[in-house]
Amino acid sequence: MKKEEIFEDLLRAVVDLDWEKGKRAAVKLIEEKINPIEGVENGLSKGMKIIGEKFDKSEIYLPEMIMAADVFGSVMEILKPHISAESLDRVKRGTVVIGTVKGDIHAIGKDIVAMLLETAGFTVYNLGVDVATSTFIKEARKVKADIIGLSSLLTTTMPSQKDVIDILRETGERDKYTILIGGAPTSQDWADEIGADGYGEKAERAVSLALELVAKKIIA
Amino acid sequence: MVSFMEVIDRALKGPFCSEKDFDLKVFVPRLKEVIKKYEIKYDPENPIPSDNDLADRVFKAGVEFYTNVGTYCVDTERIIRFTQEEIEEALVMAPSAPVFGEGKEAKALVARKPESDIPPWCFLGATGAIVSCGEIFLSLIQGYGLIPLANSITTPTIATLNGILIRAGSPLEILSGIRTVTLAREGLRRAGRPGLPIMNSISVGSDTAKIAGSQFGLRPSDGWLIGSMAEMKINFERLNEIAYVLSLGGRVVAETSPMLGGYCGGPEGVAVTNAAYHIQSILVYRGACQDSFPIHSKYSCSTGRNTLWAISVSNQAISRNSHFPLFTIPIIASGPMTEMHFCETAAQVITCIVSGGSIEAGSAAKNVLIDHITPMEPLWASEVAHAVIGMKRTEANEIVNRLLPKYENNLDNPPKGKKYQECYDIKTLEPSRECIELYRRTKKEFAGYGLKFKY
Repeated sequence: MKKEEIFEDLLRAVVDLDWEKGKRAAVKLIEEKINPIEGVENGLSKGMKIIGEKFDKSEIYLPEMIMAADVFGSVMEILKPHISAESLDRVKRGTVVIGTVKGDIHAIGKDIVAMLLETAGFTVYNLGVDVATSTFIKEARKVKADIIGLSSLLTTTMPSQKDVIDILRETGERDKYTILIGGAPTSQDWADEIGADGYGEKAERAVSLALELVAKKIIA
Repeated sequence: MVSFMEVIDRALKGPFCSEKDFDLKVFVPRLKEVIKKYEIKYDPENPIPSDNDLADRVFKAGVEFYTNVGTYCVDTERIIRFTQEEIEEALVMAPSAPVFGEGKEAKALVARKPESDIPPWCFLGATGAIVSCGEIFLSLIQGYGLIPLANSITTPTIATLNGILIRAGSPLEILSGIRTVTLAREGLRRAGRPGLPIMNSISVGSDTAKIAGSQFGLRPSDGWLIGSMAEMKINFERLNEIAYVLSLGGRVVAETSPMLGGYCGGPEGVAVTNAAYHIQSILVYRGACQDSFPIHSKYSCSTGRNTLWAISVSNQAISRNSHFPLFTIPIIASGPMTEMHFCETAAQVITCIVSGGSIEAGSAAKNVLIDHITPMEPLWASEVAHAVIGMKRTEANEIVNRLLPKYENNLDNPPKGKKYQECYDIKTLEPSRECIELYRRTKKEFAGYGLKFKY
């Protein structure tokens, strides 16, 4: 089996949400002694990019994105033991800790952003809803996050976004993380006022912003 | 009908399930199954279909889906389920004509049917949009009370108290709840309609703040809006509110918001989920009516072609098969005093009314820009609603198909419009000449489309 065919199978496994096909292709890749990183870059990641594009065109929706991310993650579990730590870092765009802030239980918009970030190649830790300020900070420290994403769907929970930034300032850790905010009542003005690094009005904008800001951080 | 105590018991003892498994292994696959089984297919050419069989299939799919899925209680991680017999009984025993309001404003909210001659209930105002301060809030409420076709009002949310941003779970939220009720009652008194019911109070988050605020002037004859968690979920906070309202003899307005692009998937999934939410509104939320706003995850509004189709089909499904009253909340992308706003509102209101619903209307700028609401948006919605009473779905479909191309490509980047204080004198409640002229011009244009305005 040519390696291009294996890459195509990995890509199709993600796009077609077919875990069995992904598992077979991953095993074949290892048997053929092909560098697994090539499989990730030329198969799985390209599949996730197509998934993101299909979501943008409303051809698929959140459940399909989650299933595609599950296929990606499961195949990665097979490949990981055969990839060096340095190589793994190469394929990662960055690490994101994301959640809906304290007092707010709206999940779906934040879940969509989390999924789109995964399709764009970020490692995402989705902390859920009603997340305590200290939990964001503890998790970001634990997973060495590049980005903290703070979602708020209520005007009354927007101050919790500010709390995270204020506490990071007080602990001297503000510059360690890029902070993105989002959610219906938030705005660029609010992001500027509280000192966030970016504001994504739409889920797609959150992803492009994350990519831009992480790239800037690397250059700096 | 299954009692509320039994609902609580099932929340405590129902089948255990993780939230992720409920979303992905219960909700999503069961929804896909019924969409396929009942052959439900989105038709972009006809945002308002005239297919009774499709409507009835959507309702059957909704009943079957809800029987298999139930409502997830996030605090106990258990599923509240009902048998088909219990659901059928609930549909028979559900409230059919709850009375809202006091004195001369007291009126029965009656369910409608597609193409019905029954006038719709006009639940008008801010639909929870944000205002900067109490002065704007009070002026707006008075303006809403002066709308001739208003049957009840929906209040804004105040962003700050004494210049401090209100914070969830804090004393500021409780004080804001109290301020909301007292100012709303005062605004309606100033409008000369003290008996007009407030049906969305109180637009603050927590159960504590809502219950505390209600002590300062909310009446059992008002509506107590309690929003369902998407998708098909509830928590103790909401159950607490329901327990309080039922004990008070009040009426729950059960708000539901299936999201297009989220776990519901496309328009077919939204239509079926909305029908399922109808049953949840009766059994779990113990509503006096359902107040639904299907919304698009990407555009954060409800006026796109696929969302209108989902609203029309589910409104027809529900109204043809249930006597439990139904509202739809148009969430409008564009801001006040823009031509796009008039078009979006008309398209959505026409869709809701001819498909058998009533409206909670007045939204602008996706409900997120501060002070971007005026009394003119709900006035327009109410006039359009009454202008299409008895209209055939085929005629309405043609009108909406003429309106959609005027705005659907701008939903991604709609005009923001103007603030209330830029459109009105907030003390005299007089709109600017420019606003009046725009309103008159638009009304004349829409009369040309076949809308029969009352005056």
